[in-house]
Amino acid sequence: MTQDYLDLDVRPILRDGGEPFEKIMEAVAALAPDQGLRLYATFKPIPLFQVLGRQGFGYAAREIGGGDWEVLFSRADIPAETAPAATPASATPSAAGASDWPAPVQEMDNRELEPPEPMVRILAAIEEMRPGEVLSALLCREPMFLLPELEKRGHAWRGGFEPDGETYKITVRVGETGDKA
Amino acid sequence: MLGVTLSRWTMSYFAAALAALLAGEVLMTAGYGFPSAPLRAPETLVVVHVVAIGWLSLLMCGALFQFVPVLIARPLHSNTLPLPALVLLLAGLGALLAGFLQLAGTLDPAPPLLPVAAMLLAGGFALALYDLARTLWPAQPLPLPARFVAVALFFLATTVTLGMLFSFALTTGLGSRPLLAVAGAGLPLHVVAGLGGWLTLAAIGVSYRLLAMFMLAPELEGTRSRAVFWTGTAGLALTVLGGVAALSLDAALAPALIGGSVLGVVALVLYGADIVHLYRARKRRIIELNSQMAVFAFAALAAAAALAVTLIVLGRLSEQVGALVFLIAFGWLTGLGLAKLYKIVAFLTWLECYGPALGRVATPRVQDLVVEARARTWFLLYYLAVASATVALLMAHVLAFRLAAGAMTLATLAIAAELIRARRLVDVSAEIRLPAGAQRPHLLMSVPHPSP
Repeated sequence: MTQDYLDLDVRPILRDGGEPFEKIMEAVAALAPDQGLRLYATFKPIPLFQVLGRQGFGYAAREIGGGDWEVLFSRADIPAETAPAATPASATPSAAGASDWPAPVQEMDNRELEPPEPMVRILAAIEEMRPGEVLSALLCREPMFLLPELEKRGHAWRGGFEPDGETYKITVRVGETGDKA
Repeated sequence: MLGVTLSRWTMSYFAAALAALLAGEVLMTAGYGFPSAPLRAPETLVVVHVVAIGWLSLLMCGALFQFVPVLIARPLHSNTLPLPALVLLLAGLGALLAGFLQLAGTLDPAPPLLPVAAMLLAGGFALALYDLARTLWPAQPLPLPARFVAVALFFLATTVTLGMLFSFALTTGLGSRPLLAVAGAGLPLHVVAGLGGWLTLAAIGVSYRLLAMFMLAPELEGTRSRAVFWTGTAGLALTVLGGVAALSLDAALAPALIGGSVLGVVALVLYGADIVHLYRARKRRIIELNSQMAVFAFAALAAAAALAVTLIVLGRLSEQVGALVFLIAFGWLTGLGLAKLYKIVAFLTWLECYGPALGRVATPRVQDLVVEARARTWFLLYYLAVASATVALLMAHVLAFRLAAGAMTLATLAIAAELIRARRLVDVSAEIRLPAGAQRPHLLMSVPHPSP
């Protein structure tokens, strides 16, 4: 069967240092029921896989050269690759030593974001996840104000600086009885 | 618990501090104290201490209760102690001002209030120091910014001790000859310990971290930053501790002052190089108003260092020391203080109000709490007024100084109004001002553990 795709290229936004998330979600909301989304980005947009997965989208991602990616999101039968992030993180256990936790279903690189944007993004992503799922994020400093908020919401976290001494990696496991007010 | 929560009383300190700054500026505008009165007149002491204790020290204490934990990634030892400390400090400041008015003959000289003021202020600062020291102690070895703060706290204790000595010398008398010698000629040491050791060192330490955070610049802990710490600390120790030793031994004060000044200037030059590096190495190309306006404060610090060197070389320091102290207090310390307050108040308010709702509903961004274009005008007016007032002091033009002080008052009032608007969420668009889960912050205090 042929799938009709809406094309969205967020590479110019990303190259300008912008945040395309809203644009993507607008495009998704505007899709016809049988329509898919063809997204062009400057990196593999792993967080999106999870977010759109919740809305019933499968995806197929391929690198198209120059570090750019083309991702097809579709409500149709693209067999969703299982747990996209299961590969990278489990191969390299972090300094936080999350070996007895499941592999992260989401990974974020928040190192270039100004505070408090990393905190906002992490909390937003966690709200979309199921209890027991794990998120990992890279930051450029210890997320001092995030940690009490995670504890208050009943999530477990582990964190520490990577061997480079500059990157702080935090891994969060969503609480079983997450306080989802 | 790891991490940092909101300091409960920091906003109360900020509010009291801003009220004191406005009071000091109104007094200067009204022609109370220097330059209308002599530099050492009781009236000048009133204005100086309203600004140094009421504004700068309360501002710094309030900021440290929130940011020492951030510097060392540990919670504040006690979130309760800052309140009795604030009450003691305000009572002590009131008694101190009344004590000065007794010296001026405005108030009845009996009973002498300066010793009472000394005890109250010592008690208040001791509580604040204890809380901050207990917070810092387990975090050793301290990161560099926290080391600046630790040394600054030592000089706060030194400043208060010298102040106590003066208050007893002026009222009940001092039994010991060496102590009397220190009280008699130690005023420059009190000023250097307070403005340099306490306020400037703490501001430098905190600035390293805040600038790196707000501009996405690398954290500086390298050789040059450590050299700032060591030369600055050594210069201040030589001036203040060496000076106290010299006076108590009946020796001349000049060697300690000159040696300390040389080290101090070296420290400031190195610090200036670090600041330039932080601005150049930032990842964030367009910086916010607080980082832009801090540039003028750094320029004022550089100008003050240049002015000090010039006055020493020309042998005119003693006649122009008022202008120099004014530039340090209002250009450097107050300028940096107001610029950073503009960011900190909005950030802490945002965190307190929207922290519990983050990720669950649409929330405003920190920058939605402020209108930078409006505040910029007032910051520019403030710095322009400070520059004019400094020139007026150098030229001994009293009326020009009072007009400039009036402009400073107006600008400060407007900036304070902007801070209150941020705290009140006035500039946040109504649809997203208070989404579900958010809680409207109290103007004067914070709730550290908002219930979701």
